[in-house]
Amino acid sequence: MSDLNDPLTPVEIVLGRKRKIVVVIAVLVLAAIVYWLVFVNQYVVAFRNQEDHFLYGSIGSEASTGPPYWVFKALPVMYADKLGPAGWGHFGMLYEKPGDDLPIGVSRRIVSGVDRVWLNCSVCHVGTYTLPNQTERHLVYGAPSNNLRLQEFILFFIDLGSDPGFTADRLIAAINSPEVGGHLNAFERVVYRYVIFPRLQAAFADLGKRLTFVARQEKWGPGRVDTFNPYKSLQFNFPMGAASISDAALNGSSDYPSIWQQRPREGMNLHWDGNNNSVAERNLSAALGAGVTPVTVDRSSIRRIEQWMWDLPAPQFPGKVDVEAAERGREVFSDTCAGCHGMKTGGTYSYNTDHFKRLGQTVALADIGTDRGRWASYTPDFAAAQNQLYAGYPWRFKRFHKTNGYANHPLDGIWARSPYLHNGSVPTLHDLLEPSSQRPARWYRGSEVLDLARVGYRSDDAAPGDQLFLYDTSKTGNSNRGHEGKAYGTELSGADKDALVEYMKTL
Amino acid sequence: MMHDDQQYTHEDNSRQIFQELKFRSLTVKNRLFRSNVSGQFDDYNGHGGSARLNWEEKFARGGVGCIISSFTPVSVRGRILVRYAMIDDDDKIPFWRAIGDRVHAHDCRFLMQLSHSGRQQDMGGAENLYKRGLSSTNKSDYFHGLLAEAMSREDIRTVVEQFAQGARRAKEAGLDGVELHGANGYLITQFLSSGINDRTDEYGGDWEGRARFVLEIVRAIRREVGQDFHLQMKINGVDHNDWLYPWIKKGNTLDETVKICTLLLDGGKGVDAFHISSGSTFPHPRNPPGDLPLNDLRRWYDGMLSQGTRARFNYSIFSNPVLGPAFVAWWRFRRGKVIEGINLDYARAVTEAVRGIDPSVKVLCTGGFQHADVIGEAIRSGACDGVSMARPLIANNDLPKILKTQNGPDKGRECTYCNKCLLNDLENPLGCYEVKRYPGSTFEARHQLMIDEVMSVFTPPAFAGSVAATPPQAVEAEP
Repeated sequence: MSDLNDPLTPVEIVLGRKRKIVVVIAVLVLAAIVYWLVFVNQYVVAFRNQEDHFLYGSIGSEASTGPPYWVFKALPVMYADKLGPAGWGHFGMLYEKPGDDLPIGVSRRIVSGVDRVWLNCSVCHVGTYTLPNQTERHLVYGAPSNNLRLQEFILFFIDLGSDPGFTADRLIAAINSPEVGGHLNAFERVVYRYVIFPRLQAAFADLGKRLTFVARQEKWGPGRVDTFNPYKSLQFNFPMGAASISDAALNGSSDYPSIWQQRPREGMNLHWDGNNNSVAERNLSAALGAGVTPVTVDRSSIRRIEQWMWDLPAPQFPGKVDVEAAERGREVFSDTCAGCHGMKTGGTYSYNTDHFKRLGQTVALADIGTDRGRWASYTPDFAAAQNQLYAGYPWRFKRFHKTNGYANHPLDGIWARSPYLHNGSVPTLHDLLEPSSQRPARWYRGSEVLDLARVGYRSDDAAPGDQLFLYDTSKTGNSNRGHEGKAYGTELSGADKDALVEYMKTL
Repeated sequence: MMHDDQQYTHEDNSRQIFQELKFRSLTVKNRLFRSNVSGQFDDYNGHGGSARLNWEEKFARGGVGCIISSFTPVSVRGRILVRYAMIDDDDKIPFWRAIGDRVHAHDCRFLMQLSHSGRQQDMGGAENLYKRGLSSTNKSDYFHGLLAEAMSREDIRTVVEQFAQGARRAKEAGLDGVELHGANGYLITQFLSSGINDRTDEYGGDWEGRARFVLEIVRAIRREVGQDFHLQMKINGVDHNDWLYPWIKKGNTLDETVKICTLLLDGGKGVDAFHISSGSTFPHPRNPPGDLPLNDLRRWYDGMLSQGTRARFNYSIFSNPVLGPAFVAWWRFRRGKVIEGINLDYARAVTEAVRGIDPSVKVLCTGGFQHADVIGEAIRSGACDGVSMARPLIANNDLPKILKTQNGPDKGRECTYCNKCLLNDLENPLGCYEVKRYPGSTFEARHQLMIDEVMSVFTPPAFAGSVAATPPQAVEAEP
C-alpha cells in the first residue's frame, strides 16, 4: 500500500499493473477451466461390465431430453395417484431387484453440473418371462421389451406440461420428501424453482405440442412402439396433422426387435421394412429414439453396446423340447421357412444369405400381406430427411430408403420374441401357423407368463398380469393378416405344425 | 608463451606495445590503457574516497600508459550503481585532482569517462527511487526491465550541458582528457542505436538524427574545454541488440558506426580518438566477453529485484537448475568463440575510415586483451593504435610489466574471463574473485589470499595514524 509519504516506485507500479493483469488472466483461465469442468464436460457412471453398461450406461440422451435425476425420482411420488406403488414400473419399466435406484434403461449423466437421467437402449430391449405356475421373473437381455408402455409414458410427460398441479412448490416438496430424500439446499431450491422447473414445464409443453398426434393414434399397448412418427416430429418437425398424414401411416406401431447376433445381420435389410442394411447406422438411428440427438450422442458408448450385441447369443428356450418332433419339424422348416429365415442345423444358426437367398430381403407388401401401417409410416420424404442426419461427419446417414414391403429376418431366439409379425398381432408361433381367420382376433397383451406349448406369452383374459391390454386386430395398424397360405405353412397338417413349433423352440 | 606459429618474436610485440602513442594533444607512454571499470569504493553521494585513489594507483604503478576512469556520472540521475565517484558538481574537482596527482606520479595519464546511464541504471540509489531512467525512448530495457522515460528537448539540453560541465571539471582537475561513454547501452548508445532509439523528432530516425545528441555533446565540450583537451569517444562497433531475443531489432551495423564516427570528427573539431567496444546492453555476451558465473549471479543479482520489472523473471531463470545452465549456454553461444580481441575487426573498420580522413585521430580497442602477441599484432596490423584492458589488469595489476618480458601472465595466473568480478561488483568491492588463480593448497588458503587481494584496495586506509595497522593475517603459502 502507498500513501502520500510512501508512494510506490515506478517499478512497483509497473509490477503491480502486471500482477493485476496476471491475476485477471489467471482468474479467466481458472474460470474457463471451471466452466469447462462444470458446464462443458459431462460426467457419467462408467460400468466395467458390458451387461451393466447396456442396462445403465449413458448413450447421451440425458443432455438433450432428460430431466434431472431428482425430478425423475420425485415424479412417481408426486403422481402416486396415477402411477401407483409401482412407480415407473407402471409403464412397464423394469427393476432388476426391488429397491433399485433406477429402472433398467435409465442412465445418469451430469450435464452443466446437474445430474440428469434418461433412456438408453435397454429400456426397449430387455424382455421378461415367467414360467407357468412359477413367480420368478426372468430377464432376457437383448430380447424385445414385452412390458414397456412407451405411449403412456410419453402421454404422462405431455400431461405434465398442462397440469396445473405440476408446480415448483410441489416438485421441490416431493424432491425433499422422505421417500425421495433430495435434501435440496436453499441455493438448489432457487435453481430448481427459477431455472429447472420452468424449463421442464416448457419442455413438456413443447413435447405435447409436437406429439399431439399421439392422442389420435390407436393405443400402442405394452411392448409396442411407433418408431417413426414421433421421430418425424421430434427430429424434423414434420407436420403431423390429420391433413398431412393418412390413418394408415399414423398407426405404424410395431413390436420391439431382439438385438442379439448382430454380426450376421450386417448387410441384411434391417428394421421391419428393411429400410437400412447397416447395423451401425440402424443403431445410431435407434438411439435417437431413446432421446439422443446428433449433438449429444455418445458414440463410444454406443459402439461399446454394439460390440456387445455383435455376438450376443440368442437365449435358450426354458421349457422342454420333444427332440423327435423337433427333428421332424426341422425338415419341415427347411422346406418351408429356411429360404427366407435361415435355420439352425447342428446347433448353429446359419445366416448364410448365399444359401438362403431370400434371407434379409424384403417381400413386397402384396405378397406378404401383413398390416401396412408400419410400412406406410415410413415415407420417402422421411428417408431423405434421415439421410441428412450427421451431415458433415463420416457416419452421416446414407442408407435409409423406402422399400416395397417387409423384410425377412433370422428367427434366432424366436421363442423370446412373441407376439409375432411386425406389429405383434399374433400371440404365439402356433397361431402364426394358422390362417388369419383362425388367429385370435381379440386377445390380451401384457402377461409375461410363457405358454410353453404354443410358444408365446399367454393371451387369455385370465392370464396373470397387472395391466392386461386388449389387443383388437380390427383396429387400424393391428391387423393380424398376412404371412399365410401354402408358402407360409398355414396349410400344413396339424402334426407338421406341431413339429415345426417344436423345432422353432430350439432356434 | 609465444605461439610457435607466429613469425614475430616477443621483442617485436613488446616494441609495438611499448612505443609512445601520440594523440593530437596527449602523449601516452605505451599502448596499454586501463579501460573504464568501476567498483563501489566511494561515498554514496558521489564524492570520491581513498579506496579509489588506492585502486587507480595500483594500475598506474603496474605500468599502464593511461587510465580511463570509472564510469563517472555527469549527474546523479545518470549513475549506474551507488558509491561511484561522480562529476556532477564543482565540489568533486578536488577529489579528481587528487586522483590525477596519484596517477601522474607513475608517469601515467588519466582520462575521465563522462557517463550517463540513461535507462540502464542498475541500482539508482535512494535519490532515483521514484524516477524512471532518462532515455531516447519510453520503452524499458529488455534485459532487466529497467524503466525509461523519453527525454524532452529540454532534458536533452540539460544533459548535454551536464556533459560539457563534466569535461570542464575534468580539465580543471588537471586530468589529461575525457572519454564519452557512448557504448554498451548507456544513454549515448540509447540515442545512437537503431535498436533502441524510436524517436520521431530530430534526435531519432536515420543515423545522423540519432547521432545528433552526441554531436551536440561533443560541440558543447569543445566549447568548454577548447580544442587542446583530449576528447575521445567510446562506441559500439556493432550493437548486437538482439543477443537475448533474436526477434528484436539488431541495432547499429558496423557501416552505421563508421558513418557516425566520421560525423563525430566534426571537420577536425570533434573527437581525437575512438574506443571500440560492442554490445548495446550491459552486460552483454560480447562485453565483457567471457563466462557468466551462475553461483555469483544467484548470490549477487538479488539487489536488482527491486530495480527492474524483468529482474524477478531473470532471477528465476538464473536460479533454475535447468534454465540457469541453458541461459549460460545461450550466453556463450551469442558471444562466439573469440574472447581476446573480440572487437578487433570493428576497430579495424573504424581505423581505416578515420585514418583516411584524419591520420591524427587514433583508435583504441577493448575486449579481453591479455597477451603480447595479440596486442602486438593488433597494433602492427593497423586494426588499432592501442588497447584497453580491465579484467586482465584486475587479475594482474602489473600486467604491463609482465608483457614487457613475456607474452602473458604465468600459467594459472591469467585472467580466466570468468566475470566473477562483474557480478561481485553489484554487492562487493571490485577485485578478482577467481579463487583458483590464487596460490594455496587448500580452498581456505586460496580464498584468504583472494580476500586479502580484493581488500588491498582499502590500504592504506583513509585515516592512517600512528596506530600501526594490523598486519595481514598469515596464510599458508604454496611451497
